[in-house]
Formats: sequence, structure tokens, C-alpha cells
Amino acid sequence: MTDSRRRTGRFALGVAIISVPLVLALLGPVFVGEPGARTVSFTLGDGHWLGTDFVGRDVWQQVLHGGRPVVLTALGAGVLAYLVALPVGLIAALTHRRWLEELLMRPLDVLIAIPSLLLILLVASVFTPGAVGLALLVALVNVPDAARLVRAAATEAAARPVVEALRLQGETWWRTAVGYVGRTILRTLGADAGTRLTGVLYLVATAAFLGVGVAPDAADWAVMVDRNRTGLFVQPWAVVVPALLIVALTTGTNLLFDAALERPGGRRVRKERRKEQRS
Amino acid sequence: MSGGGLRSFVARRLLLGVAQTVAVVLLVFTLTEALPGDAAVALAGDQPDPARIAAIREAMHLDRPVHERLADWALGLPQGDFGTSLASGRPVSQYIADGFGPTLLLAALTVALLVPIGFGLGVLAARHEGGLVDRLVSALTLAVYAVPEFALGVLLVTVFALKLGWLPPTAVGYGTDLLAHPAALVLPVLVLLSRPVCSLFRLVRAGMVDALASPYVAHARRYGVPGARVRYTHALPNALAPAAQQLARTIDWLLCGVIVVEALYVIPGLGTVLLNAVAERDVPVVQGLAVVFGVLTVVLNLGADVVARRLAPRAGVAA
Repeated sequence: MTDSRRRTGRFALGVAIISVPLVLALLGPVFVGEPGARTVSFTLGDGHWLGTDFVGRDVWQQVLHGGRPVVLTALGAGVLAYLVALPVGLIAALTHRRWLEELLMRPLDVLIAIPSLLLILLVASVFTPGAVGLALLVALVNVPDAARLVRAAATEAAARPVVEALRLQGETWWRTAVGYVGRTILRTLGADAGTRLTGVLYLVATAAFLGVGVAPDAADWAVMVDRNRTGLFVQPWAVVVPALLIVALTTGTNLLFDAALERPGGRRVRKERRKEQRS
Repeated sequence: MSGGGLRSFVARRLLLGVAQTVAVVLLVFTLTEALPGDAAVALAGDQPDPARIAAIREAMHLDRPVHERLADWALGLPQGDFGTSLASGRPVSQYIADGFGPTLLLAALTVALLVPIGFGLGVLAARHEGGLVDRLVSALTLAVYAVPEFALGVLLVTVFALKLGWLPPTAVGYGTDLLAHPAALVLPVLVLLSRPVCSLFRLVRAGMVDALASPYVAHARRYGVPGARVRYTHALPNALAPAAQQLARTIDWLLCGVIVVEALYVIPGLGTVLLNAVAERDVPVVQGLAVVFGVLTVVLNLGADVVARRLAPRAGVAA
């Protein structure tokens, strides 16, 4: 088997694994229909395909509803993190004022020391964040690392002769920064976006499992796993199905990005990323 | 690079570590200040009777100015005085002492297994690069790497406790003496290992593949140095530096993992204490634990960066 065929195979595998949870998450709420009356909790059969959950709701309906919050919160958090990290990293890399660079990057060095889940729990103990609050928090813990990466990649691109030539021609800062440097680092950013999205999905699901940013009876795959655990020995489907869907979602994302980012030559973009992080 | 370079690096890194510690303490303290309105009323939550509000105000010294409270609290920390719990009135240090044992046991077991498994698999896969073993382990680690602990954990419970009945589903009823019940530790440690092993494996494998393809390894082979010696004394040390740094990043994951795993398997460690305190809005306990966890992370990261620098001075660890 050649390298490129193996890559296509892994790509197909990633698509196959991620398509089930993704389709359920995005289209599930459309096809769910009217919620039925609540019945006895943790029963099997009885007109309920996957049984009932801890308060007697139909598990299949909950599954159809429960993917959307996970996926949307994660996507929102990922986009938000880059919205902050991109300008901060670009300005820090391209500015000639040393104090500005220090001012932008030093606070991030300090913030990066705090474990991400700890920060989320800390805030959750004082406020009661909703889905938007959770997305903001997850974005916040991702900003330091993302900004560092953007700065490292942009510093390398800004040291090229092209940038000097652009400056000599009197091009505007905007054209140099966004038009050239921004475009040059796109590939590195793409590689980073893959790993970051996996990490964001992990954090969003784990926080929801611990009860942060969600209602205690929310239709959310992670909340379902947590709340239905008490009935695991009576009615395992209410736990196993959402847990499997979360596994498929995270694993699929990781496989897909890994296959997509591998170049035909076999060398990974991730390797470049690591090199840039060190600088 | 000379020893002076390392020494100045360590000095700069120590300075950053001190700044990070101060930042953690300040951030954790700011938390109560960020409470909307009267902190005591906000914390009383569902039971806003005047007696309880007065008790909270008393316990957290809310009637005194901010800077005095910060100074008192911060100066108490090095002496092990973390304040008193709002829920029970017991000192926070007692909570920390109670939960410390199980958490330390989990973390120690995990790290003790993580290093040999991660390195062993990495070296094995790199040795047979492109072979069946390499492809299998690589694919498996890539798949498991991203899976949240709680999802993997409940699936393992379903298989090993529910279907097969080999292992207990939780550690309920075993108290803090978990070593006496090793069967209850199998699943928690397995789940805790899942993500760090994958990332460590991938780094060691990548480092070893690069090192084994390098000119100095080819040269050593031409001189007839035995294969095992080439692998372990020449190639492996060069694969160590990125892995040592990753070991530090793993601390962040281990901490997240410990909190989730303790909640999942009902282990009475620091993670459980933290989650209970968060649920009860017992701010002094949350603050105390956050400082312990935060400072621990800062110190371990510092150590790992210095080790990584010592192993590969050219790699240039950021400081």
C-alpha cells in the first residue's frame, strides 16, 4: 500500500467515525418531534427504543437534542479563541516597540501556568455561567497558547526579505500584516486549529459532565452521561449511547485533522508547528 | 553551552515561576472581589437568613478593607493557614490533608506507569517504523488521545464491571485506604493513563525515528556498536528533551483527569473535595485548593523546563 492510499484510507475512516455524531448533533433537533409524556425512570422497551432516563424522558429524543450544545459551544469557543489570539499574536510579532510586545505576551506567560479545568471550576464556583459563559471560559484558557503560536509563526514570516521589500515599497502595515504575514502562517494555523478543536471539544464536554455551563437536566450528551450514571446497572443505554457519541466525535475530529494535515511526502505539518513553538 | 548559560536560564525561569505563583494567588483572591453586590449575600445563595450572612461575613472577614484581607490571607498561605470553610467551619487545611492521600496515590501510580509504558511503546514503534506494530499502536494512540476521560471511564465500567463483572464499578465503601483494595484502582489509573500515554508515545516515537535516521547513529552502526546500545545510549537521550517538556504539560492533563476520575469512581481525594466545594459555593475551600493545585503546577512546570533545557540546550525552552 502506498502512502497516499493509506492517507486516503485514514481520511475516509475519520469521516466515517465523525459523520454519525455530527449528523445527529446538527440535524437531530430538526427530526426529534414532540416530546412524549414522562414515564417511569430507567425503564427499557415499552415503546422507548433506547429506554428512559433518570427523570423518565425518552433517551432517543434526548440523544437527538443533546449533540447540538456540545458541538456549537466548542465551535464558538474555538472561533473566539482565535479572534483574540490572532490580533494579539500578529501585533506582538510585527511591532517594533519592545514594551508593546512585552505588554501583550507576558500576561499570557503567567496565565498559561494555571490548569485549564481549574480556572473553569474557579469561575464556576462564584458565577453560574451558561453556555455562552462556558464558551468564553474555554476560549480564554486557549488564548495564551494560540497567541504564542501565532506570534512564533508570524515572527518567522516577518523576518523574510519579502517583508523588508514590502516595507521599502511603502506598503501599508495592514497589507504587510494581513496580506502577507497572515497568509503565510495560514498552514501552521490550520494544523493548530485541528489540535485546538480537539482540545476545546474535550474541555467543553468535561466541563458539562462536571455540571459547568449546563442546566442539571439539560439535553446534552455529557450531562446525560453524568446524570444517568446512577441507573447504569438497570438501563445502560442512557449512558453508553451518549458516551459512545462523544468518543466518536472527539476521535473522529482528531483522525480527520491528522489525515488532512499530512502532506503527500509523509512529513507532518505538526512537526513544523513544534519547531515554531520552540523558537 | 557553558554552565553559566544554564544558570542564567534557571534564574530567569525561577523569576517567571515566582511571577506565576503571585499571579495564581492574586487571581484566586480576586475571585471573591468579583462577586456581584455583597459577597456574603451572594454566597448565602438559597439560604439568605441574616444569621448565615453574618456568619459568612465573619468567616471571610468581609468587613475589613480589601488590602488587609489579601495581606492576611496571602501571609497565612505559606504557614498552611488557608482560612475556614463556610459550610462546616473546619479549617481548609484539614480538607486538604484529608484528600491528599488518595490523590497522591492516584497521581504517583499513574506517573510510575506512564513513563515506562510511554517510552517503551515509543522505542518499540520507532524500531519497527512502518511495520504492523507501529501502525497499530500509532492508530490506537491517535484515536484514544482525544477522548475525554469521563466518556472512556463509563464505557470501561460498562464493559469490565457490568458485563464481565471483573472489577468494582466505583471505590464506594473503601474509604481513603485504597491500597488495600487494588482492584478498585485498576480502572481509575487506566483512565488517567489514557491521554498522557498517547501524547508521550507520539513524542518519543517521533524523536526516536529522527534520531535513528541521523548521521551519528549511522556512524555508530558502522563502527559496529551493538543495536541495543545505539538505541538506548545514543538515540534515546536525544528523544528525551521534547518528551520531558511534554511530561510537564501532562501535569495539566493529569490534574483535569484526577478531578474527573475521582468524580467518576467516587474516590475521596482533592478533586472530590474541590467539586463539592464548587457545588456548595464554599469559596475559602475552593480558594485553598486552587492555590495548592496552581502552585503545584507552576513548580512542576518549572522543574520540567529546567530538565528539558539541561538535556537539549539548543532547543531553547521559552522563558
